[in-house]
Amino acid sequence: MGKKELRVAFLLALRSLQRGSRSSVILTILIIGMCFTNMIFLPGLFNGIGQSITKQVVDYEIGNVLVSPKSGERYISDMDATLDLINGMPGVERATPHFSKGATLTYRKRVLGATVRAIRPNDEKLISPLYTKMVAGSYLGDADTGEVIIGKPLAGDASVKEKDEFQASLGGVRVGDSITMDYGNGYVKDYRVKGIFYTGWYQSDTAVYVSYTDMALADPRAADNAEYITVKIKPGYSEKFVKDELQQYGVSEKVQTTADLLEKSMGRALQSFAIINMVSLIVGIIITTVVLFIVITIKTINSRRQIGILKAIGVDKEVIMHNYGFQVVIMSVLGILFGLVLTLLMAAYLAAHPIVTPEWSATLYLTPWDLVQNSLILFAASLVAGYVPAYQVSREDIQSAMRA
Amino acid sequence: MIQISDLTKIYRMGTVEVRALDGVTLDIAKGEFVGIMGASGSGKTTLLHMLGLLDDPTKGKINIEGTDVLALSDYEKTMFRLYKLGYVFQDYALVPDLTVMENVSLPAMLRKDRSEEQIRKDSDFVLERIGLLDRCDHLPRELSGGQQQRVSIARAIVNKPDILFADEPCANLDTENSRMVLDLFHDINEEMKQTIVMVSHEDWHKEYFHRIVRLKDGKVVSDGTNPSAH
Ligand SMILES: Nc1ncnc2c1ncn2[C@@H]1O[C@H](COP(=O)(O)OP(=O)(O)OP(=O)(O)O)[C@@H](O)[C@H]1O
Ligand SMILES: [Mg+2]
Repeated sequence: MGKKELRVAFLLALRSLQRGSRSSVILTILIIGMCFTNMIFLPGLFNGIGQSITKQVVDYEIGNVLVSPKSGERYISDMDATLDLINGMPGVERATPHFSKGATLTYRKRVLGATVRAIRPNDEKLISPLYTKMVAGSYLGDADTGEVIIGKPLAGDASVKEKDEFQASLGGVRVGDSITMDYGNGYVKDYRVKGIFYTGWYQSDTAVYVSYTDMALADPRAADNAEYITVKIKPGYSEKFVKDELQQYGVSEKVQTTADLLEKSMGRALQSFAIINMVSLIVGIIITTVVLFIVITIKTINSRRQIGILKAIGVDKEVIMHNYGFQVVIMSVLGILFGLVLTLLMAAYLAAHPIVTPEWSATLYLTPWDLVQNSLILFAASLVAGYVPAYQVSREDIQSAMRA
Repeated sequence: MIQISDLTKIYRMGTVEVRALDGVTLDIAKGEFVGIMGASGSGKTTLLHMLGLLDDPTKGKINIEGTDVLALSDYEKTMFRLYKLGYVFQDYALVPDLTVMENVSLPAMLRKDRSEEQIRKDSDFVLERIGLLDRCDHLPRELSGGQQQRVSIARAIVNKPDILFADEPCANLDTENSRMVLDLFHDINEEMKQTIVMVSHEDWHKEYFHRIVRLKDGKVVSDGTNPSAH
């Protein structure tokens, strides 16, 4: 197959697309583009959701590495020693304790159960962006007692009637207001609301945060116990490295990375995602293959006589095969480009207007590799779909082709 | 230039055998304008297809310019058609999506011994010769039947073939257009010494042929120079 032959094949292909049935060419390109988008959209969305959840979990729940009590125990009892040990290790940005407790909140006529989370506010800043999410008032200080910060959904909105509320709230708590918290252990106290935050992470937004110092007053165990310790790692270190390090150098508690935990909690969901992704990939490939196969088959059937004539005047069968091959190549490349544009437009749209839920906000998460990989898969599928009928028709003997 | 001996083609359909060609032996010399005539079903098209290497005979030999063409491989036959033969079909058979110029250049573009410039020169020359150079950017469907057939002749001769075959090239044309096409064949035979083998069943075409071969039931029933040729 020389250069001249390929040039003639390309000329035939190009002219057939330019001067043949425009609408069928355009429709084919649109379908390939849609299939491409379909192949990449759902997986990208799931990835976006996964990324968003992961980020929230890291930010507001466990940091990079979570240290929790040995099995059979409720608390990490030698809290300060453990914290010192962890904070002294290379690769650790900061380790900070957490302690939480249920409480009943009373504000004016509203009564609501909520989780009270104790943090060391300054250490927490190194681990969680919570302090940047204040929508009113200010963040906690380490020595604050009698002051809390609460999530905006929990604080509620005075302009919404209780029966119209989507989720129960305190009905419009404002900074400076006082709420009463009953820990159920006989400790009841009024707190001043120092600030209101909104993170977008449901677990945090429906909680009340107090300082560790304050919690120790409500539950003396908080003085030297931690329910769990979250660890933020320094850039350039892997979670796995820090986990191994902790386990190796004397942290006898349970140590898990974010990846370990997510795999456990989201493993099943991820599996379902993988299945859905696979289905949308296969459907995309099948539709593309079938459409191109039909388009090329119809083309070749309609031009059987013409193919016979071309052969009769000395055009080699390879030229005829590549003529149809190039038509497929051109249509699938244009289709994939169209699909890319469509996908990127949707990604841009979703980036500007993410799908927001209390748990996560989804944007399309696409890596260049995803785009390249899907383009190549679709391209390969189109080649097969186009070359099979092209090969068949190019082998037909002149006599039967010309009589068609 | 062409030696055909004992050429036989038998079509088998189930148990029925059709002897489309039955021992045809012929010699065609360089520069001849031969008319193959005969009733419908007499085997004219079959003979032309054998000579044009579009189909294999059941028996017999074809030698063109010293080449035993039946011994060639499939690919060699294709190249032989490209380099040595020209073919004109009853229904013009132009590529509908190519312009007149592209249709005419197509066979030349595939030849390894033609430069871009040569192709343009040759295409211009034949289009000029058929009087359609000014229509070179038109698509076939924008031309009349007679014009299309002239383009198809231009395509067949652009590579200066040794032999030009034409199977009832005027069957779809009215008398006036038929005359134009036949005159064109006559002229290129005269001017370029182009060997032409043409099939026809129209009696009045015979005034153009130097030599007439008559077929009947796949056999040559008469073969001789045509005194009434002009
Ligand atoms: N592919 C085929 N299969 C079976 N029989 C065939 C085939 N092609 C031709 N024939 C038969 O061979 C005989 C000669 O056919 P051919 O087409 O050569 O005739 P022709 O002289 O060209 O006729 P016409 O003037 O109608 O074109 C006919 O009887 C025809 O039916
Ligand atoms: Mg015929």
